[in-house]
Amino acid sequence: MMPVKRLTRMVVANTLRSRRHFVLSAFGIVIGIATFVVFLASTEQVGAVLEKIFPLDQVTVVAPRASLAGMDVSKKLDDKIVKTILERSEVKSALPRMSLVFPAAGRGDFEGNDLKFEVGGFADGIDPNVVDDDGRTKELFKDWDMDASDTKHRIACTPPPEPANGEIIQSPRARPKNYKPPEPKPVVPGGPVVEPEPEYFNECPDSDRYYCDGADRMCHHRVPIVMSPTMIELYNGQFAKSHGLPIADADFVKFVTQRGGLNAMRFSIGLGSTTIAGSNTSIKHKPRRLEGVLVGISTKAMPIGMTMPIGYIQRWNREFLGDEAASTYSSIIVTLKDKTQVAVFAQWLQDKLDLRLDDSLGEKFATVLFVIRLVLVLISLVIIGISAINIAHNFFMQVTERRRELGLLRAVGATQGDVRMVVLGEAGLIGLIGGVLGVGFGILLASAVDYASNHYLPRFPYKPATWFHFSWWIWTGGLVCAAGFAVLGGYLPARRASKMEPAQALTQN
Amino acid sequence: MAAKDSSPVVRLRDVTKAYGTGAAKAQVLRGVSFDIDKGELIALVGQSGSGKSTLLNVIGGLDKPDAGEVEVFGVDTQAASDAQLADLRNRKMGFVFQAFNLLDHLNVLGNVTLPAAFSHHTKQDEVDHRGREALRKVGLSDFAHRKPGELSGGQKQRVAIARALFGSPELLLCDEPTGSLDSDTGHEVIEFLRELNAKDGVTLLIVTHERRISSVAKRVIAMRDGMLVETTDEALAVAGKGGPK
Repeated sequence: MMPVKRLTRMVVANTLRSRRHFVLSAFGIVIGIATFVVFLASTEQVGAVLEKIFPLDQVTVVAPRASLAGMDVSKKLDDKIVKTILERSEVKSALPRMSLVFPAAGRGDFEGNDLKFEVGGFADGIDPNVVDDDGRTKELFKDWDMDASDTKHRIACTPPPEPANGEIIQSPRARPKNYKPPEPKPVVPGGPVVEPEPEYFNECPDSDRYYCDGADRMCHHRVPIVMSPTMIELYNGQFAKSHGLPIADADFVKFVTQRGGLNAMRFSIGLGSTTIAGSNTSIKHKPRRLEGVLVGISTKAMPIGMTMPIGYIQRWNREFLGDEAASTYSSIIVTLKDKTQVAVFAQWLQDKLDLRLDDSLGEKFATVLFVIRLVLVLISLVIIGISAINIAHNFFMQVTERRRELGLLRAVGATQGDVRMVVLGEAGLIGLIGGVLGVGFGILLASAVDYASNHYLPRFPYKPATWFHFSWWIWTGGLVCAAGFAVLGGYLPARRASKMEPAQALTQN
Repeated sequence: MAAKDSSPVVRLRDVTKAYGTGAAKAQVLRGVSFDIDKGELIALVGQSGSGKSTLLNVIGGLDKPDAGEVEVFGVDTQAASDAQLADLRNRKMGFVFQAFNLLDHLNVLGNVTLPAAFSHHTKQDEVDHRGREALRKVGLSDFAHRKPGELSGGQKQRVAIARALFGSPELLLCDEPTGSLDSDTGHEVIEFLRELNAKDGVTLLIVTHERRISSVAKRVIAMRDGMLVETTDEALAVAGKGGPK
C-alpha cells in the first residue's frame, strides 16, 4: 500500500483539479449534512428545554385517591413510605413534599401594584437542605423559627392593628429616615381639622428580613419562599406583559437588588383567609397574618405556586387541621439513578406500596420528541443517501473519463489497492469538505433562525435564546456521516477503477 | 540470438493471448517464445494488429497471457501477486508510450516523480533530486515547473522518458515512442534511447514502425499474426511490409 502522506497529497491534488466534479459531488452532501446537524441540534435543544420543564429522571409518587362512604381513605404518604422508597437500589433520592392543605391568601406590593393572590393549594414545603440553586438562596431558605441561632432576633414588638373587615393588610414598611407625619387637615375644605391615623411601621431590626408577628408579638424572620423557573417564565411571558411590569432577569439576585433588595420581595400571608369569597367557611381556626419573602428561584420549587421550608407547612397544617395533616405528604419526588428504570420503579410502586406515579407529561413529550427526532434524522439520512448515490454516479463518470490516468498509475507501480484507495480517498475528501461546509451552512442557518426568533417571535414561557444546541457529537457525527456516505458512494467506482485492465485503460482514446 | 552471459531479463515460453469470445475471438499471440538478455536493445516490429503492443504489455505485467510462461527478472508474472507485479513495475521497469500519458494537472517534475508516490523507499527531498536528475538527463532541467500543456510533442515525450527513468529501471519498455513525433524530434528520441542503452546499459524493448530504430537495434524481432519472426534480416523484411521504412 502506498505511503499515507503521498496518498493524501495525490488525493488532494486530484480533488482540487476539477471544480465542476467537486461541486457536483459535494452539493448533495452539503445540503444533507446541513439538514442533519440542524435537525439534530434543534431537537437536542428542544429536549434540553423539555427536560428543564419536566426532569426525566424525576418521578412524582402520589397516592391514588380513594373514598369510602364520603370518607377519604387514600393511602397515606408518610416517613415510613419515604424510607421504603429510599431503600430501593434504583432510587437516588426521595424528596417528600407537603402541601398547605387549608385556605390561605397573599397580598403584596410590587412595583406600586397591590397584588392579591391565593396561596392555599398553591404552596408546599420541602426539606430546605435540598435547595442549593445558588449561595444566597441556600443561606436564606431555612426554617428560621426553628433555628436556634436566630433567637437573638426574637424581640418583643407591637404588631400592626388588624383591620375590622378581616382583610389582609400589606406588609408594613419600616419607618423611613427623616419621616414626617402628615399634618392635620380638614377632610373637606372649610370643615373641621382631623388628626390623621398614625401610620404603623415595622419596628423590628433588619426590617428587610424581619417582621412583627401578631401571634406571639415577637420579631420573626419572614418565611423564605422560592419559586420555580416556570413561575418566572409565566410571569415574564404573560403576567409582566399584561400588567406592564418589568421582565425578571435571568439573574434573579440582580433583579432583586435593582428593586431595593429583599424588602421589595416581601408580602403578607393570611393563613385561613382566602381571596375566593365564601370558600373558607369550613375553617374553624381564626385567621392570622404572617409575612413571607421571595428569596430566590429554585428548580426544586413546585412548578406553579410557592415553596417554603417544610417545617412551616407542617406547623401550619397542624395548627389549622391537626396532626394527621401535619404528617401526610402530598407527594414524594423520587430521583432515579437512571431514567430508563422508571418502568421498573413504577411497577414495584404499584405492586408493593399500592402507589402510583403522577402522569408524566415529560415522558410523553420526550417520546414524541424522540419520534420527531427519528423522522428528521431519517429525512436527512435520505438526503445524504441520495447524495451518496450522486457521488457514485459522478465517480463512475470520473473513473471512465480517467481510465488512461488510472492505467498509468498501474504502469508506474500502483497496485489495485492503491488505485482503490486513491478513488476512495477522493470520495472521502469530498465528503469531508462537503461535511465541513454542511456543518458551517447548518450553523449559519441556525443563526438566521435564532435571529428571526429573537427579533420577530413574541416572548413566551421557556422561549429559548437559541433553538439549537450544537453538541460536539452532532458536528462530529455530521462530519463522520458525510465522509462515510461519500466513501460508500465511491466504493463501487473505486472497485471498478481497481479492476480495470491497465493495458486496455492505457489504450483509451 | 545474442550470447547470454547471465540469466535473461525476460523469458517467454509459448505465450498465447486472445481477445473476445466466440466468433469475435481474435488470437493476438500464438505461442510466442523468446528471451531478452541484459543490455539488449531490441526493436519489435510488425504490422498493426500483429500483437506487438500486447506482447509488450504482457512483459510489463499490464496484461495477462492466456497460457504460457512469462518470467521477468526471474519473477513468474503468472504466479506473482498484484503487489509483486506493481513493485516490479515500480522499481525495475519503465514504460514509454506513444501518447506520452502525462497528467495535465501535475507539473513536469510532478509527472516525472509520479512513480515515487507508490514507493516506500525514498524521502521527498531525494524524490525531487532524482526527478531533477532525470529531467537533466533528457535535457529539460529548466522545465520542472511547467505544465505539460506548455510543452512541445518532443518535450512531452522526453518528460515521459524521464518519468520512465526516474526509478533507474533495468528494463525500458517503449511502445511506439516516436509515433507521435515529427521526424527530427523522433530522431532525437531514438538517439537518446540508443545512448541510454550504450552508456547506462539499460535493456530496451521498443515496439516501433520506425526503420531508424531498427537500424540502431542490436536485435530486431518481427511479429506476424501473433507469431515471431526472429532473424534480423527476415524481421526487417517483415517490418518493411508494415510501417514506414
